[in-house]
Amino acid sequence: MKAKRMNKPSPNAEFTAAEKPLHFLSVAEASRLIGGGQLSPVTLVEAFLARIEAVDATLKSYITVTAERARAAASAAEAEIKAGRWKGPLHGIPFAVKDNYYVAGIRTTGGSRLMLDHVSSTTSTAVARLEAAGAILLGKLNTWEYGTGNGGVYHDLPFEVACNPWDLARFTGGSSTGAGASVAAGTAMFALGSDTGGSIRLPAAACGLQGFKASFGRVSRAHCLPNCWTLDHTGPLTWTVEDNAIVMQAIAGYDADDPSSADVAVPDYRKSLHAGAKGLVIGYVRDLGPGGEALDAANAAAMDEAVRILEAQGAIIREVRLPAPLADYRTVTKVINWGESYSIHETDFLERSALMGQALREKMMSGFTLRAADYLAATRLRRTLVDATDALVRSCDALLIAGAFHVAPRFDEPDTIIPFTADTATTVFNVTGHPAMSVCTGYDSGGVPLNAQIVGRFFDEETVLRVAQAYESATPWRDRRPSL
Amino acid sequence: MSDSKTTGLDEIRLYAERHGLKGLPEAQFARLAELATTVREAGLAIPRMPSEEIEPAHLFTVAPIRGLK
Repeated sequence: MKAKRMNKPSPNAEFTAAEKPLHFLSVAEASRLIGGGQLSPVTLVEAFLARIEAVDATLKSYITVTAERARAAASAAEAEIKAGRWKGPLHGIPFAVKDNYYVAGIRTTGGSRLMLDHVSSTTSTAVARLEAAGAILLGKLNTWEYGTGNGGVYHDLPFEVACNPWDLARFTGGSSTGAGASVAAGTAMFALGSDTGGSIRLPAAACGLQGFKASFGRVSRAHCLPNCWTLDHTGPLTWTVEDNAIVMQAIAGYDADDPSSADVAVPDYRKSLHAGAKGLVIGYVRDLGPGGEALDAANAAAMDEAVRILEAQGAIIREVRLPAPLADYRTVTKVINWGESYSIHETDFLERSALMGQALREKMMSGFTLRAADYLAATRLRRTLVDATDALVRSCDALLIAGAFHVAPRFDEPDTIIPFTADTATTVFNVTGHPAMSVCTGYDSGGVPLNAQIVGRFFDEETVLRVAQAYESATPWRDRRPSL
Repeated sequence: MSDSKTTGLDEIRLYAERHGLKGLPEAQFARLAELATTVREAGLAIPRMPSEEIEPAHLFTVAPIRGLK
């Protein structure tokens, strides 16, 4: 089966199921068609390669497209499925990864001049698990250099900056820039990003996606280019919450190759996905304390509406407050990030800083002068923040809290780009390690996506997904797609 | 110019040389000095813990903390 094509959808296009182009199918929709023999993985992969060909010169979501490798995998998947060896919901599903995930035999640049010719001999555990589940890698996605920086965009990297599909004049959010752009624009059905202070959730927020940073230790970081050992997370950006659950099912779980991996049982994430919010206690962090006044009115209003929607479904809403000022979490993140990232990239900075873009070089400069006592002060404060925040999270089934405070900034207003990255409550949960998902909460008056975070107890990704699904299913936000 | 609270250009050049930094574009040294001041201020602003028993979270894993297995 091939869904009817729309050649020129109207801005912010809305599709009926029958009209939806293949590149705008969700993972769950495509999976049902593939599993039912109505859609060929070869057809699906070709549709995505055609989409990349059609729009990516403008969008710039990819650094490397592995078309022939994807075609070979699609042919193999088709043969396996025809032979009755369907592997499950990811079999034949095309995806892409931020270019800081190593894949054996494929160039991994980290978006940097320093790694332009780097070809790894290892494959990241997350990619290996997805491929074992039958998913098909389309390529490597755009990223801030080394997946990090100072929050600014300087247009000085070897690959042009990815653009936001909702408005090409706007930023995608960083650092998983291509991951956000690709899933929203339909150049990948889902993507993997990495998140040290919000780098999965901020592109998800800016591009209208569901982006999940699970509990620290839940998803392996093995064989990814590290940025900051104690704050780094890996995870999926998807169009729907159900898609996120499907991807999480494949990538979550203990990995001996990741020293921070947690040996905690992985539940069936789709088992209670549609159980609704009735009876769940949702802590609503309406008052963010000092710094919270920066939250856009549209994002605040959308969160109030989300509370009303969840309450109407039977959730019990309690207003709560973070146990410490946002500034404490942000400073801890910043100082730990400076120190650990510098430690990882010290040789590059000392010997080849001239090859770095300004954003990475400035971060390395910061780490270069950081005192050990200050780094350790941050890690000691972190311990108290973890304990106090965990007490709050455990007093509820889930939290609802702002993520990115602002909508995607415009490139021609560069002074708004660093505040987009800095004015958030995403870093809170890198510091603590709790699972946090950025969900799309609608669009502002200009059609630019809004967002909020749903946060759960340690290793209770199941409840985060359940609450997110309850909200998503009661709203029309998944009916609209950007027009390119 | 520098005082006890800021990092001067000569000072940062010496620091960079002493710590093996090579090839930093000349125009970047002033920025390095600015950032050194920013980093110093951020570091000193972190509240110090009242007890030696509050250890760093450098071996940060949540599973052992919660006894989950």
